[in-house]
Amino acid sequence: MTTEYTTRMGDGQRILMTREQILADLKEGMADAADLGEIPDLSEDELDKLVDIIAMPARMVGVEPGKEVPVTHDIGTIRIDGDQGNSGVGIPSSRLVGVMMHERAFGADTMELGHIDYSYKPVKPVISNEQQTMEVCQQNTIIPLLYGAMPNLGLYYTPDGPFQNPGDLMKAFKIDEARASIEGAAKHATRDITWIMKKMMSSGTDGINFDTVGAAGDGDMYASLHAIEALRKEFPHIYIEAGMAGELTLGLHGDLQYDGKVLAGMWPHQQAPVVAKAGANIFGPVVNTNTSRSAAWNLGRAVTFVKAAVKASSIPCHVNMGMGVGGIPMFETPTIDAVSRASKAMVEVAGVDGI
Amino acid sequence: MSKEETFKELADAVISCKKEAVDAAVEKARSEGIEPAEIIEKGLAAGMNEVGILFERGKLFLPHVMLAAGAMESGVSILEADMPTDAASKKLGVIVNGTVEGDVHDIGKSIVSTMLQSAGFEVHDIGRDVPLQDFIDKIKETNADMVGLSALMTTTLPGQKEVIEMLKEQGLRDKVKVMVGGAPATENWANKIGADCYAENASEAVTKAKELLV
Repeated sequence: MTTEYTTRMGDGQRILMTREQILADLKEGMADAADLGEIPDLSEDELDKLVDIIAMPARMVGVEPGKEVPVTHDIGTIRIDGDQGNSGVGIPSSRLVGVMMHERAFGADTMELGHIDYSYKPVKPVISNEQQTMEVCQQNTIIPLLYGAMPNLGLYYTPDGPFQNPGDLMKAFKIDEARASIEGAAKHATRDITWIMKKMMSSGTDGINFDTVGAAGDGDMYASLHAIEALRKEFPHIYIEAGMAGELTLGLHGDLQYDGKVLAGMWPHQQAPVVAKAGANIFGPVVNTNTSRSAAWNLGRAVTFVKAAVKASSIPCHVNMGMGVGGIPMFETPTIDAVSRASKAMVEVAGVDGI
Repeated sequence: MSKEETFKELADAVISCKKEAVDAAVEKARSEGIEPAEIIEKGLAAGMNEVGILFERGKLFLPHVMLAAGAMESGVSILEADMPTDAASKKLGVIVNGTVEGDVHDIGKSIVSTMLQSAGFEVHDIGRDVPLQDFIDKIKETNADMVGLSALMTTTLPGQKEVIEMLKEQGLRDKVKVMVGGAPATENWANKIGADCYAENASEAVTKAKELLV
């Protein structure tokens, strides 16, 4: 009888697969990434290594000694006291306690302070509170502590902001107006992020995390790149991390460029060089999980994309690993078997510098 | 020029997203005596299908799809005079589309609406964070054939199931097809809650809507 191994579907469902089935799905996922991104396949050795990782008998796996990488957390400060609605565990505590728990109990290598809304725009009215919290957190920790949030261009469109929603304009065939709206929103976002970070830097922040760059399409990425550029100019030694929202930069505008390159349609290996050019220190590639495919299919695909990004990047790549990205199932609390396998694969096969 | 070459010219004009190019290609095809239905089906629609494929592969984007759809619409309007009255303006079906209550994600749902609209459906996009009763009200108001329910969070996914239950309670379930989508949704989830289909992306939403309604 053929041995079957416990693994997952992309939605977290537990399934059994043989080594042959795992390999077949890995190859299919890899081929999808190679085709879409026009990037190289993984080698036979790398595929064999991925099969070995998925088929490991232990529920939880880890990297080989000497291959450890830095691990940072994004919204972690509110992950402790936030409820399930924002991926938290609902334990009453402060953001300071959240930072200290990650530093002293969970072994985080760097950490981030984030606002409950977790977008830059809503930070403006409470900037003094954020500065004060940052100062207190800095006084109680030694790990590099960044300030982070989402550029979230969506908040600049109606009903939340001053610009008409490009989605609505597009549906009315007002394409030029939609593009103008995106460009206006991008300028506001760049201005806001730069202003907020100037304030936060005066309170001892070690750096900035741009979380989910491109979530609202190419305008979102355009705004972020210009904010990175402005911050690098203002603060030559600031630590800047830019993590993407998805594997493909969606072209809601379609024609926006940075450094002469059209942003729409960029895959991770094309995003990395423009992020570096803007002045970031760290690039966070993202590959989305397909919930209807196996973890093997998703992992083969994610590792292929991320390996190409690592190769193309002149700055370290800290891959985004969590619910629904990086080959990890889309599940509110992703299972440790899937998380640890996907993380090991990213370090040992894709060659990422951190997570 | 052979018919096949003319069809390719029509399709290429649509892919170029340029209204002038489509209008010129349609006039040329007309002058060659090609039937309007053939010009649309084998030329313009074939071009739109290719646009859909390029969209799916991340080579073309929403504005390009809209421009291509606008150009195709212009080409079809030139042919209207040569066509039976209702053939030119008939919509493929009426679809109410929205993101369920508690979920503010807008972009994916809007892309689906636009793609459905570009494909020839009458789409009523009722926005994001939509109270579930509003779906039922809009379905009744527009006499919709299908409802699209989007959810991007595991916590809002049950809203899709609730709308299906409400459709049953109102005696509308047999009349209205239900499509579900969004990152946490799956084919299994669609089957479990009794939806008619699950669409993984905007292109698939168009394909599935056509399968169910056309």
